[in-house]
Amino acid sequence: MVSKKIVINNPSGLHARPASVLAQAAGKCNSDVTIVVGERTIVAKSILNIMAAAIKKGTEIELRCEGTDEEQDLEKLAALIESGLGE
Amino acid sequence: MERIQVEKTASRGIAAAPVFVYREPNLTPDTRPVTPEQTEGEAEKFEQAKKRVLEELQALAEKNAIFAAHMEIVDDFTLREGVLSKIKAENKNAQQAVHETIEEFAAIFFSMDDVYMKERSADIKDIGKRLMAALKGITLQDLGEIDREVIVAAKDLYPSDTVKINPQLVKGILTEEGGITSHVSILAKSMDIPILVGVSGILSKLQDGSMVCMDAGQGIVILDADEAVLGKFAKKKEAYQRERKRLEELRKYAPVTSSGKRISLCVNVGNVEDIRYALPLNVDGVGLFRTEFLYMENTHFPTEEEQFEVYKEAAVLCPKELTVRTLDIGGDKSLSYYEFDKEENPFLGWRAIRISLDMKDMFREQLRAILRASAFGHVRIMFPMLISLEELREAKLLVEECKKELRKENREFDETIEIGMMMETPASVLLAQEFAKEADFFSIGTNDLTQYLLAVDRGNKKIADKYDYFHPAVMRAIEHIIEAGHKEGIKIGMCGEMAGDARAIPLLLNMGLDELSMSQGSIDYARELILKH
Repeated sequence: MVSKKIVINNPSGLHARPASVLAQAAGKCNSDVTIVVGERTIVAKSILNIMAAAIKKGTEIELRCEGTDEEQDLEKLAALIESGLGE
Repeated sequence: MERIQVEKTASRGIAAAPVFVYREPNLTPDTRPVTPEQTEGEAEKFEQAKKRVLEELQALAEKNAIFAAHMEIVDDFTLREGVLSKIKAENKNAQQAVHETIEEFAAIFFSMDDVYMKERSADIKDIGKRLMAALKGITLQDLGEIDREVIVAAKDLYPSDTVKINPQLVKGILTEEGGITSHVSILAKSMDIPILVGVSGILSKLQDGSMVCMDAGQGIVILDADEAVLGKFAKKKEAYQRERKRLEELRKYAPVTSSGKRISLCVNVGNVEDIRYALPLNVDGVGLFRTEFLYMENTHFPTEEEQFEVYKEAAVLCPKELTVRTLDIGGDKSLSYYEFDKEENPFLGWRAIRISLDMKDMFREQLRAILRASAFGHVRIMFPMLISLEELREAKLLVEECKKELRKENREFDETIEIGMMMETPASVLLAQEFAKEADFFSIGTNDLTQYLLAVDRGNKKIADKYDYFHPAVMRAIEHIIEAGHKEGIKIGMCGEMAGDARAIPLLLNMGLDELSMSQGSIDYARELILKH
């Protein structure tokens, strides 16, 4: 398993649109992708899970990937989140 | 033919058309348990229903982007996991598994602080409805398929229903449930469709296609109208439209009486949306912002920040003034997250300022939020239900303390913010002269004032005819308040229903009232009465 800590920079946090971009990208990965926010661990493939976590701007999350392509998936998803998830 | 009279109206307009009865389908989940051998079949039922719903949404998504977002939720990984685990691990049938999973998610979103996220719970329930209909093999009626002029009658309408309404074809809306501040009311207002809510029992009396006439302003509905009535309504509608056009022309004039007195013409609102709808009417601002809706439509006492955001937005929108009434709860208005003791006489009980002065921490949050918003417009603070000078002084002292805190924190606010009060208790009327020396303005709340002065419960149908603000005692009280206030040089407004009553406005202007604040539907008429006065 590999992981990376990232601070969310989207102005309204991970609301519907960025959550959907992230869920779709995570869904395409071969790895099992999870996000750790505070004490919660959520499945990143689920837009409902991401939205329900109510991740606000400035929150630090830990992105975790596990699987054969974990290094590559982590790098790809981290870059996507850091670039603002299409916002 | 049958005539129904509705008491509360929030829109105007006249419509006559065949009715389209929108019936709530029975979407109660089947509770039959399944055997372990059947679970595969139930899971398959869910997959099929999901497929069907995705197809339906695909077609809708072409017209409205919101349904693309719905598709993602239907297709969601966790939703599917939730449903499948309920089927496989708990031996539930597909319908029940969907129902429970949807309820769980809707509850999570509903409990969130963020207003935007909270609203998503309605979307999730909407999706649940679609999945359930697909599982039950029911075709949901579709308002988007209406292809002729109709009046829609329904138990209640959801956001997914109203988005499909074509205002060219839907001439009117009647619902059995829902209040005048509900989603459907607000939406109908924005689409300019006459609407009557709370029309109880109509669905059982109506058949698709029967002719219905409605006058939203008067609260009249006529079922199975005959030719004569239809003719009458057609004429009424024409006259109404001509009249409306004429009144719209007057909006450009400031409300000045013929003797040259500029009257402040304001609107009563319960939220920021209401202000937006009223702005095209060229109002001076808000004479009564009912903050209780912020508390009632919530899961917790709204925080200072949450309130500040709302008041700030309102202050920016209001051209001349924003009068914020502090929390007026108790009586007939309760909160889902705070238990009030049962009272023998709630209207004579623990309500409004009495609660605020007992729960000072909560009150401070509201006062600080209002003060901070005062940096963004002309904001005034108004206290409800006062009966003594001590109460006014105590509340004003709290405002001073909050100001001091804000200064220390280097936060901006209007140092000269006006602090006024509602005149709605008999005690405040009798003490009007004293109050006028310490309050910056009065606003007469005729609804409570009439009820308290005449000892008539306004909700009691048996004595409804006795609830009358033209009663000489009420009129004399109003006169006294205005006189006492003017002697001290303060402005007197009125924000009760009487302020928007065409029969009352000329009388009130004669008495010297300075401000009229009313629901937006009365503004155009009131302006004309002021101009003519």
